[in-house]
Amino acid sequence: MPGVAAWLRERLPVDGEKLRELTNEPVPNHLRAWWWCLGGTPAYLFVVQIVTGILLAFYYQPNPDTAWESVRYITDEAAYGWYLRSVHKWAATLMIAAVVLHQMRVYFTGAYRKPRELNWFVGMCLLLCTLTVGFTGYSLVYEQLSYWGATVGANIADSVPVVGGFAKRMLLGGEVYNANTLSRFFVLHAAILPVTIAALVAVHIAIIRTQGVTEFHFADERPDEPKFFNFFPDHMLSELAIGLVLMILLSALATILPAEMGPKADPLTTPEVIKPEWFFYVAFRWLKLFSGTAAVLSMGLIVFVMFAWPFVDAWFRRRNKASEASVWIGIAGALAIVVLTVWEAAVAH
Amino acid sequence: MTLNTKRTVIALLSATFLASLIFVQAMEVTRRRAEAGLGDAHVSAPDSSKACVECHAQSSPGIVDHWTGSTHAAKGVGCFECHEAREGDVDGFLHYGKQIATVVTPRDCSRCHAAEEAEFARSHHAAGGMILASLDNFLAETVEGNRAAFNPHSPTPGKAIDQVNGMASAQTGCQQCHGSKVALLANDGGRVTVDDLKPDAEGRPTNLDAVARVVKDQDGKPRFHASTWPNTGIGRLNLDGSRGSCSACHSRHDFSPRRARQPENCGKCHLGPDHPQKEIYEESKHGVAFRDLKDDMNLDAHTWVLGKDYSAAPTCASCHMSGNIRNGGRVTHDPGERISWTNRPPVSLVMDTDVNHAVVKETDPAKRAAQIADTADAKRGRMKEACSVCHTADYVNAFYKQYDDFVVLYNEKFAKPGTAIMGALRANELITKQEFDEEIEWTWFYLWHHEGRRARHGASMMAPDYAHWHGMYEVAERFYMELVPQARELCEHAEAAGKGEAAAKVRAVLDEILARPEHAWSGQTGSHGAGPKGE
Amino acid sequence: MGEPETPLSSAHPPADRRGFLHGASTVAMAGGLAASYGTFGFMAGRFLYPAHGRARAWVFVDDLARFAVGASVSFRAPNGERIAIARQGARGDVDDFVALSSTCPHLGCQVHWEGQNERFFCPCHNGVFDRDGVGVSGPPGEAGQSLPRYPLKVEAGLLFIEVPVEGERTAAVGPRGDGHDDCLQPRADSGPELA
Repeated sequence: MPGVAAWLRERLPVDGEKLRELTNEPVPNHLRAWWWCLGGTPAYLFVVQIVTGILLAFYYQPNPDTAWESVRYITDEAAYGWYLRSVHKWAATLMIAAVVLHQMRVYFTGAYRKPRELNWFVGMCLLLCTLTVGFTGYSLVYEQLSYWGATVGANIADSVPVVGGFAKRMLLGGEVYNANTLSRFFVLHAAILPVTIAALVAVHIAIIRTQGVTEFHFADERPDEPKFFNFFPDHMLSELAIGLVLMILLSALATILPAEMGPKADPLTTPEVIKPEWFFYVAFRWLKLFSGTAAVLSMGLIVFVMFAWPFVDAWFRRRNKASEASVWIGIAGALAIVVLTVWEAAVAH
Repeated sequence: MTLNTKRTVIALLSATFLASLIFVQAMEVTRRRAEAGLGDAHVSAPDSSKACVECHAQSSPGIVDHWTGSTHAAKGVGCFECHEAREGDVDGFLHYGKQIATVVTPRDCSRCHAAEEAEFARSHHAAGGMILASLDNFLAETVEGNRAAFNPHSPTPGKAIDQVNGMASAQTGCQQCHGSKVALLANDGGRVTVDDLKPDAEGRPTNLDAVARVVKDQDGKPRFHASTWPNTGIGRLNLDGSRGSCSACHSRHDFSPRRARQPENCGKCHLGPDHPQKEIYEESKHGVAFRDLKDDMNLDAHTWVLGKDYSAAPTCASCHMSGNIRNGGRVTHDPGERISWTNRPPVSLVMDTDVNHAVVKETDPAKRAAQIADTADAKRGRMKEACSVCHTADYVNAFYKQYDDFVVLYNEKFAKPGTAIMGALRANELITKQEFDEEIEWTWFYLWHHEGRRARHGASMMAPDYAHWHGMYEVAERFYMELVPQARELCEHAEAAGKGEAAAKVRAVLDEILARPEHAWSGQTGSHGAGPKGE
Repeated sequence: MGEPETPLSSAHPPADRRGFLHGASTVAMAGGLAASYGTFGFMAGRFLYPAHGRARAWVFVDDLARFAVGASVSFRAPNGERIAIARQGARGDVDDFVALSSTCPHLGCQVHWEGQNERFFCPCHNGVFDRDGVGVSGPPGEAGQSLPRYPLKVEAGLLFIEVPVEGERTAAVGPRGDGHDDCLQPRADSGPELA
């Protein structure tokens, strides 16, 4: 081993010591609490999605005539195909859930405050990318709900003033869902969005590493306790353990509730009930409560406010140093999300 | 948590993950086994039939779905293999580049299923269409309808009817079981059938004038006479000279043997007041067992040999056609091979058959022996092979004694006397030559064709209620309360009309019969016949 | 941000037990990770490996009575391959027949029958086979290769061939793109006269 290291050092201008120091970030104590793992969870699930996604892409065919059949082949015939597809589907759900929970954790612990506003933006971008990759992924199966969900989604985009028509046509590659659409969604889902997410995650972690993790102190800490612990090997092992728990959870879900085949997309028949995936229920219900342009614009406004929240929160705290307005607003927002999601899930229309 | 603990935790979690993957593996194996067990999904649409399948999957998807699940599909026998028509076939036409015919006859099936077709062709099933010249047909064509079309007598609101099809009862009733004589429309308004075409040994028509008369539509397709097609009667008289329709029992397009093994299949035709075999089976212990143990009947088995693949209960096919462990699992498509009495005629006959598989009616023993090619006993022996899978020899032989006794009783007490009475009436012209115009003809018909058959069938398949209450009881009532009194009444009318001698001859027949010991109870003896008591 | 002070690794058991626990837990962990993720990797590998493309079945060709001695049929297997089936004998059993694949055993090109030269010819490297499929010149001839034969059987007077089959979708999936309809040719089209 030392011979190999010396051989490499003669050829690569990397200093082992510096590298060790760079990566061995001091991890604040609070991260020994297991529920602080919500950042690493979506990162790990992202890796799972890349691996299973690449495997699925060996058999998937992004062509309206054969897409559904290729997914059926994976589900019914390929060895372990049903398992890998189900893991991919459940990991998508868990990843989105983990991202949302992570964002809530960051929000409620105020870790977006100065000087970490930029990272909050990066995180928001990651949220939007994750939701989009989930949307495009389901559209690829070319089931009835895939087709009609994409059609409805594109039409919602269309209702945005000024840029709506352009957005819809870019998305669909035409006026209606056609052969171009599936190709576009596949490129978005399998290439553009994964690379974007990977890049954003790299930036996200780089910013954390350079700024350091926000310290968080519990009231019951002993004053003489060390304030940090090593990334290697301590935190690494925790991450490994979490990864294994996720794999067990995914295997269990994939075997108990595997992904199945719905009816193939029929452009001539609209199903009675069209719904997007669960993570869009809140938006779907919001759009049904308000009509047309007002709905879309108000949604856009909410997203903008979410982006700008570090500044909104700063404004609150300039007025009152101990203001907990963010927390209350956060609780209200979380409740609203839950209520709208459950409401949409419970009713047909 | 110490590092060691963490590492141990990871080791345990890894073990759990591995366990979950082993579970995944088990599920995968189960899935594969289930997939293989249920039969392969690969269907080879042979080259010649690919276009048919693709188009008809849109235009008649049911047909393609049925075929896809069939053994034919798995073995690469597609549409064209059966529907191919040769040049010169009268019903052939060009359809998207292929010469095909709509109707598939036993001759077509025999290209691959030669042995089955040969057995079927000599069986009574294939002769079912010959009913067209029989008494039954007179009923349907003349009594219930009219051989020629006739005009309606008043308008029917909402429908423009200019002609009444008098053959409709025969076509929808008799011929749907027995088989129609397939006809093509002729350009002179008539029809072209096998009688006109006079096909040769290969099935090709020799009378080309008849072929030229056939009406074709704008695609060159010959038009069938609607009264004769659709029809899957088991004795259908086909244009190529063959008789029958394999799809009568092996319904298309999956031609399922499984279906043919079940009593409901035979029950399409073998039911009703004149031959209630289906109802009789259901009453019998065999039917009761079948209904209860249907899941154990292994109906999907490739070979279906009684005693090997199943033994829960016999169905119609089990006894009359399918193979059993005693006969080497040999199936026959000629049910007549195992029948020892024919209960179809008014008087049951012993099924000694000649080389042409026809019943020998010769009475002189020497001549009879010379003609017999297969005895009734041999046939009964073949049936007993099936019985003996479940029943001991004593049991089977005793049953046959009971059956023989019953048939002989019916023959001797009612059937032969009834035949004699009717014969005497006809010979002495006390009834007209016209069938069914007098009450006594209906009475006699019910007695032997309906009630007498029910009784005999009930005895043959161990259904006591059909043997007795629905059977012999009604035979007896018909005989004593209707046939005999009606015959006597005819004699009285004849005497009053001056035909005393004829009447006397008939009365002599009646008296001789009723003087016999078995009829003595009725007190109907006496030269001028006291009527039934109480009249 | 600050140096890590003391690594919060472990309490301090005696040195030899510490070493043993360290070693044991590391081995257990490494083994567990390798076994579990390795199994997952194995499953992924099986998933990628093309599955039962070699499933074979007996498919009906024709009935013996209609197959003249000396005649041949160009049979199209479900996977598209063309197989020349010829009857050379009149005995009435399976030995009368030969079924030759049209795939050259050298590097897989399609051979065709040259009636005028009484030979099968492969255009890729000029391989030549005689009427029975035996290689006579070119790379297959030099290597002593012959055209592959397919198993045949005769059952109840009917001829069957064992060919690879794949799950066929019998419903139309999409329009035929190539404009050529194989089905408009009669089944027994021209092939070598392998009398």
